[in-house]
Amino acid sequence: MKSTPAIAFDQVSKWYGQVIGVNDVSLAIDGGVTGILGMNGAGKSTLFKLLMGRLRPSNGAVRLFGTDPWESTSPYRRVGYVSESEKMYDWMTSLDFVSTLARLHGMTRHEAEKRAEQALSFVDLENVLNKEIGKYSKGMRQRVKIAAALVHDPDLLILDEPLHGCDPLARTSIMNIIREMGSRGKTVLVSSHILEEIERITEQIVILHSGKLVALGNLHAIRAMLDQHPHRILIRCADSRALAAIFIDQKPVYGVRFIDSESLEVMTKNLSEAHQLLPSLILESRIPIYSIENPDDNLESLLGYLVGDA
Amino acid sequence: MSENTEADNLGEARIEAAYGSGDGDEDISATVASAPQGQILEQVYRPWDGPLGPRWVRNYAIYRHHVYGIISGSGHRRYHPFVRLTLLVVILGSMTPILMLLLSSMISGDASGFLNRMWGVNRYNLWGNVLGYFPRNLCMWPLLTALVVGGLVSDDRRNGTSALYFSRPVSRLDYAFMKWLSAASVLAAVILLTYMLYYSAAVVFKGEGWSFIADTIPIFMGGLVAGLLLVITYTSIGIALSSISTSRFTASVSFLGLVLGSKIVAWLVELQFETTYVYLLSPYDCLAHLGQWLVGLPLNYDHSLTLSIVSLLAMNAAALSIFASRVSSLEVTRE
Repeated sequence: MKSTPAIAFDQVSKWYGQVIGVNDVSLAIDGGVTGILGMNGAGKSTLFKLLMGRLRPSNGAVRLFGTDPWESTSPYRRVGYVSESEKMYDWMTSLDFVSTLARLHGMTRHEAEKRAEQALSFVDLENVLNKEIGKYSKGMRQRVKIAAALVHDPDLLILDEPLHGCDPLARTSIMNIIREMGSRGKTVLVSSHILEEIERITEQIVILHSGKLVALGNLHAIRAMLDQHPHRILIRCADSRALAAIFIDQKPVYGVRFIDSESLEVMTKNLSEAHQLLPSLILESRIPIYSIENPDDNLESLLGYLVGDA
Repeated sequence: MSENTEADNLGEARIEAAYGSGDGDEDISATVASAPQGQILEQVYRPWDGPLGPRWVRNYAIYRHHVYGIISGSGHRRYHPFVRLTLLVVILGSMTPILMLLLSSMISGDASGFLNRMWGVNRYNLWGNVLGYFPRNLCMWPLLTALVVGGLVSDDRRNGTSALYFSRPVSRLDYAFMKWLSAASVLAAVILLTYMLYYSAAVVFKGEGWSFIADTIPIFMGGLVAGLLLVITYTSIGIALSSISTSRFTASVSFLGLVLGSKIVAWLVELQFETTYVYLLSPYDCLAHLGQWLVGLPLNYDHSLTLSIVSLLAMNAAALSIFASRVSSLEVTRE
């Protein structure tokens, strides 16, 4: 028997008066790290608010572990939520803050303090856990919020822009934590408008645009489905014209374009076939190659293609 | 090669002549920080497999967060030192009759004497310990309520910290009730405990026996019920005002304005038109009216006691409905 997914949206729509926030979204997420992507106003925040019971859907049904979050707070026992905005008790130490929130899950004082120490240690704050949160840097504050979300060992972790405003070291640390949670079999939902960050965390994505679900699944699989946009392979080599002459006769190659005398862009509708074929042709040609890149096999290009801005 | 020659070769002599680096700096040494090639921070997630406590344990966490903050500064809700100081002054002020009882019992043993009438246990004094206007209901209880309840919900509204509760298994009913209960507990601890302490002190200091207790306990209980109603009403009104504001100052001043202002307006109307009906708008007077009946004092309001009770119920109902509706919309974009 199939278990209930952690998150399920069934034909969910949400209107704010005349403005539509989410338009007929259906999706189910369970296990691993999933990135929620979209431009400003795409509906990411509305999606999170619906999940956290702060909005009631105009149509359709939202289920968190099989329960309507608008009607019941019981699924929050299994959810850790990191909100985008800063909402903390700045006068408290991180240990006090995290253990106070742990107690809201029903832990005793001793359990709460023990778990808070473990959670803060997990986010590398064990050396400053008795320092007031108000004296923390932005990255440290984010990590305190993550520790507070992890303290009760949730099955689902929802992170709304967790890397916003963090320095590179803090970003790396937080991304490690997210990946670690995903590898532990937890369901992690993370939103970010910085596409490179999502790419570093996961390949499983949900793309929203103007409230509509535009794409869902593996980043590369989605890209492969976009036949109307040929894949581009950028090759930097010693003699681009000679290489182009060799490539143009090959079946998977759709076209070639010269960027400059040392750069050649090869267009194909079958990326994997092209990548199987091209290396042997390059070796045979004996033309020195400096680099081979797939400039549009990334999230930015994908998002651009899907929402029509590319 | 000698040391001097080596130093000359290195140009140290010229540097010293130009910058005077030899003046006591000889022992200074510098090291270049050796950065590691790289570091991988071990991320070991240790799942917690303990049980999660029942609803009351979670609710108690909210309750203690608000109440313990008055005593302990760390790990709980923050109360300004001025608030704590005022609370101390109010507590000490409300305990002055106990001191006077002690003095009167030491000075005079006459049960019908002036000191005993002034400070001893009787209907007027028991009523006055809870519902007396000056200083208790003019200064102490309203100020206590305003300071304790003022920021209870308004702080959460201003900072958005209620979201910390609502992303956890805490229902809005639990949140609202625990906030209310924590405020009511603080008020009860000051108002009712000092009242009980006063009665107990009277028994002890005067060496009263069971017959005295049997005689006075109904009056004492009447005063206790009146005090409980005062705690409930003041908490409800205060928390309702806190829930419609984003500033603890506004909420506190509104409470003081409502409680004291309605009394003053009613008093002015009584002076002008010789009617006590406007006192029905004053929470304090409705409580005082009911309190007089509960301890068996002659009622000094012209209007019916029933009207005061109805008014009191309406005030509490209105306050709690405002509070409930505001809490249901906290952190929510509801239609």
